[in-house]
Amino acid sequence: MISLTDIHVTFNKGTPLETKALRGIDLAIPAGEFLTVIGSNGAGKSTALNMIAGTILAERGRVEVDGKDVTRLDAHRRAPFLSRVFQDPKMGTCESLTILENFALAHGRTRPRRFRLATTRSMRDDVKDRVAALGLGLENRLDDKVGLLSGGQRQAVSLLMATTGDTRVLLLDEHTAALDPKTGAFVLDLTRELVATLGLTAVMVTHSMAQALSTGDRTVMLHGGRIIFDAAGERRAALGVEDLLHLFKEQQGTELSDDSLLLD
Amino acid sequence: MSLYEILGTLEIGFVFGLVALGAFLTFRVLDFPDLTVEGSFPLGAAVCAALIVTLDVNPWLATLAAALAGFAAGWLTALLNVRFGILNILAGILVAIALYSINLRIMGGPNKPLLGDPTVFVWLDGFGVPTYKLTPILLGAIVLAVLVGLNLFLRTGYGIAMRAAGANPQMAAAMGIDVGLMKLFGLAIANALTAMAGALFAQVFGAADAYMGIGVIIVGLASVIVGTSILPSRTILQATFACIVGAVLYRLAVALSLNAGWLGLQASDVQLVTAILVAFALIAQRSGAGLRRRLTRGRP
Repeated sequence: MISLTDIHVTFNKGTPLETKALRGIDLAIPAGEFLTVIGSNGAGKSTALNMIAGTILAERGRVEVDGKDVTRLDAHRRAPFLSRVFQDPKMGTCESLTILENFALAHGRTRPRRFRLATTRSMRDDVKDRVAALGLGLENRLDDKVGLLSGGQRQAVSLLMATTGDTRVLLLDEHTAALDPKTGAFVLDLTRELVATLGLTAVMVTHSMAQALSTGDRTVMLHGGRIIFDAAGERRAALGVEDLLHLFKEQQGTELSDDSLLLD
Repeated sequence: MSLYEILGTLEIGFVFGLVALGAFLTFRVLDFPDLTVEGSFPLGAAVCAALIVTLDVNPWLATLAAALAGFAAGWLTALLNVRFGILNILAGILVAIALYSINLRIMGGPNKPLLGDPTVFVWLDGFGVPTYKLTPILLGAIVLAVLVGLNLFLRTGYGIAMRAAGANPQMAAAMGIDVGLMKLFGLAIANALTAMAGALFAQVFGAADAYMGIGVIIVGLASVIVGTSILPSRTILQATFACIVGAVLYRLAVALSLNAGWLGLQASDVQLVTAILVAFALIAQRSGAGLRRRLTRGRP
């Protein structure tokens, strides 16, 4: 579903601040796979996700989504095939619009926008049902501005918005990191449920090794802009956080400082 | 103030209501501080006056043509910003100063009188009521029509896309919205409204003038600030209505201060009064917010 071939991304090229964020990423993610991505700060996790989403364009290499070459497409042109949830709950929703209007925006991601009223009766009923399933009481607040919701509520709404329409790929950028543990767990459960029910292909970047191993079907570790570890199936099932740390040391030959990766 | 003066104030208030709606669209909806209006307001006046006087064009058509010219000016500013990466404020200033020369060309001089030429207000003569009483009604109706149109637009699929593009560009892009295109259209619409205001202003006062754009941006902003700080502005309808009320109130404040004989002000002091009023409105808005915080802080 997603195929990355020899991807290179360099920031501030040709200046003293030149940083090679991605140095030759090759990755094929088949349809329906839920991939988790871990790595320390500066490993290139977020860059990789932004590069798939089109916020950052690859300097070299080829990005394919669903068989289409999207390497040179801007983020808004990739949006019909890819949806994403941001780390900051404020980013994924538009706070000056109502809940319903936000869903109308999401609706327009895969279907043409028109010069007609953005919100329709049938859309309202549909959104009401979907939001009610969250059990957060938001079904009675469809005309409230999203800015009035809490971070957790906004992230749950972002997730529902990202899974509106017939998009097949979901990109998650540490989307539970800014939430308290209980809300984070709720959003993560919701994520698993939505990905499973809709049969989505998903890529989740996370700081937490435990979360990376307990979520999805496959885990890759990035370091220094390269994939240094890739595990799926039984091999992954047998892994613990300690093993990952060990593997990391082995591959890199470097000592991993404790604070650069969360162990929980 | 006499009835005549009050009606005159309403006229200008409504005309600047259009400018305020444009300023609302750029500053509030798109978060784009657009200074093009300093040039597109006189552009509208110049195009309209030149078409009516020189080419005998129907005044309604001339007003429409003025709006189209403003549309192009706004588009150009957004293009300089979106396509060529020029800082938004600078892009507006560049287009505005270019328009100054263009306006002189269009008028063939520093001004273009409309003495004895037909305007959109001529057909008001047939009602047996003095025209000066009907003019504010016609202008009010025009402003109201634009208000309704803008509200409807901002609730369409494209409208909410434009609002999202201004409020949260990264999210908008992730939702498949071409943020640059939204800026192009938003600025174009805002400047079309401003140019239309310029065209109507020229027809009310009987002349287009190259200097009539000075301070238009401040008047537009003042109307938005005054209106939205005294009236509720939670929804788009409330906010746009507040902008028009703000424009009228602002003109009223200017008229009253120029009328107060003991202040010793004269007509040429209008820009000074404008600047002082806007500064006060901004300070009041800030301290008002501070006061509200202090009042609510003690509550459980």
